[in-house]
Amino acid sequence: MSEEKKPEERKKRRTATEAAAKIGPIQKANIQGVAQAREEGKKVAYTFICCCYDEIIRAMDIVPMWTETYAGICGAKRDAQRFLERAESENFSRSLCTYALCGLGFDAWREELGEMPPEAPWGGQVRPDMMLGSGQMLCDPRNKWYQAAQHYMPDVPIYDVGLPWPPYEDDYDYREVQDYYVKYIVKELKGLVKFLEKHTGKKMDWERLSELVDLTDKTWNLIWEAYELRRAVPTPMGTGDAMNTMVPMVFNMGTQEGYDYYKDLYDELKLKIANKEGVIPDEKYRLVWGGGLPSWFALSDFNYFNSKGAVFPVETTYRMIEAIYNFDMDLTKITDPLEHIAWRWVKFWTYWHDRARKRPGSHPDVERLIKYIEDYKIDGIVMHEAFSCRSWHVGLIWQLNQLKRVYRDIPSLILESDIVDISSYNEADTRARIDAFIDTLEAVKSR
Amino acid sequence: MKSQYFAGVDIGSTMTKVVVMNQTTLASVIGPTGPEHRKLANRVMEEALAKARLSFDEITYVVATGYGRINVPFADKQITEISCHARGVGHLLPEVRTVIDIGGQDSKGIKLKEGRAVDFVMNDKCAAGTGRFLEVTAEGLGVSLEEMGRLSLEAENRVEISSICTVFAAQEVVAKLSEGVALPDIIAGLHEAIAIRIYGMVRRLKIEREVALTGGGAKNIGLVKALEAKLGFPVLVPPEPLLTGAIGAALLGKDIVQEAAEKGETLVRSERRLTEASIFT
Repeated sequence: MSEEKKPEERKKRRTATEAAAKIGPIQKANIQGVAQAREEGKKVAYTFICCCYDEIIRAMDIVPMWTETYAGICGAKRDAQRFLERAESENFSRSLCTYALCGLGFDAWREELGEMPPEAPWGGQVRPDMMLGSGQMLCDPRNKWYQAAQHYMPDVPIYDVGLPWPPYEDDYDYREVQDYYVKYIVKELKGLVKFLEKHTGKKMDWERLSELVDLTDKTWNLIWEAYELRRAVPTPMGTGDAMNTMVPMVFNMGTQEGYDYYKDLYDELKLKIANKEGVIPDEKYRLVWGGGLPSWFALSDFNYFNSKGAVFPVETTYRMIEAIYNFDMDLTKITDPLEHIAWRWVKFWTYWHDRARKRPGSHPDVERLIKYIEDYKIDGIVMHEAFSCRSWHVGLIWQLNQLKRVYRDIPSLILESDIVDISSYNEADTRARIDAFIDTLEAVKSR
Repeated sequence: MKSQYFAGVDIGSTMTKVVVMNQTTLASVIGPTGPEHRKLANRVMEEALAKARLSFDEITYVVATGYGRINVPFADKQITEISCHARGVGHLLPEVRTVIDIGGQDSKGIKLKEGRAVDFVMNDKCAAGTGRFLEVTAEGLGVSLEEMGRLSLEAENRVEISSICTVFAAQEVVAKLSEGVALPDIIAGLHEAIAIRIYGMVRRLKIEREVALTGGGAKNIGLVKALEAKLGFPVLVPPEPLLTGAIGAALLGKDIVQEAAEKGETLVRSERRLTEASIFT
């Protein structure tokens, strides 16, 4: 597609919950709010979701421009190809992360024009004052993307936060080393605060930061409680909707709006359960979305599953919280806000370690699947291998094999496509696979 | 009681297969799906009916399967090829637990339990690992698909085909030819390459014996041998490996009719008029 051409938007996907339906306007306001804030003279930062610095930037009135999410929006609006092609013409390989490619293509184009590319979705990705990398063991573009973006914006400074967590080993307890990880993360976060103070000319309001950290804890608990309601039969909300309701979880953490959103979701799900109102009236198959980011341009595939009697009461993707009160330590006793953030991070990523160690051959990701299969009465697993995102997707098949080895055989479906690059997607083939999967679910159920 | 007849129509990417059955197979026809023929499943059906000496009105139930199943206007029901292959193989070779189907456009592995598919894997993304890989490379070598199997058995020093892309593999075999590599050695290398990909995919299912090989690929003795070498044991090949999907479709039609009769339900059937497949019009 040429750079001038812009595809038509698809019609809106039908959602089961009002909360999910509200996300479009919230998301749009989030994105457009960045441009507005920029005009008001506020500092804008390129940011990554699940970054540990949500509350820090909120406390310093820095406005986040969530770059992965903006790429996802371009994908969902089926308007990412022109940015991907632009990145490719800048010599970036098409096999790199397509979130990063979309963002880099956008940046290259915007910087060349000196203004937003024509008809940029929701007003476009605003030029930042700073870029905050958030390197995890999870994903390498979170270190490298902004360094590449500096080719187009050499004047924009970067701070890269390292956020490790103890890797899983079946023969040692991560608690032996957890203090070192926390110490390291706190040091990284202190460095970030110093960087932000330098580039904003403002001092950190530590009291406000503590309040926002507490608010995030409360929000984590509330999300967990709301999502656990989906165990109900029929389930009141599926993964298709969860791919919307995850937005405040990654966009609006450390804000009252984020908390209020999940309070509304909780209340709505309670009401639906009381009224026995499910995603579909006659659930035949309950599935777990067992990993992989979704194809943002093909969320209507979830509705296709629904049309076959299948629902997704639970997913591992974008459930980036646990109930704080379920951790093996009392986080409320950690009063230093940076230490508190660091402990929350380490405890989240090690949450399933103990369960895994109890089952030979298992793994935390496998244990999480097993727990969900049991708690949510799951009949089958669906995973998505997105070709451009290796770090999240490379172990999925292994997880599935281990699950079948250490737990039990369960019907599974691997979908193959991408997060943003629609050229990797074939609706007819995808739906043929879904049809075949439904047949196998039926065969297993009727045995 | 009036005899009941069932038809299975399997529209694959390269071949259209029709089977007419009652207790046994009365007639089967395999016709090309190619560009000129793809909308003419009705003609293949007519041919099968003529062979079985039946009129279309006498067919109790028609099930369509394969990638072109959706818009076969004269079918009473569409069922996925996974289920139809499973039913067909389960009927023909009840001892089989794993099916490897190598079609023109995709390849798949199916795990069977009690004659029904309980798990599957599929490659429909990449031509390498499908019949298309052999079609493209056969063209480059100037040999027919039918000859490839026999020729590969004459190989003495099988070469390694390193390209994982079908287009580049076709170029690679031409280069090998110009280097003077013997044709059988190249073809054996191609079979090895495709067997590696298919085996790698099907392994995800935890392969259980017996294994049946179906689809056009099963007619290629060189490919069968290459897969057997990967598996480490012999595979079973149905008498006509192209027909398992259509046989399964006809049998599933029979199952549907029987179940409806047991429940006292009335079946909804399409009008008994043989028209062209609408997906291609």
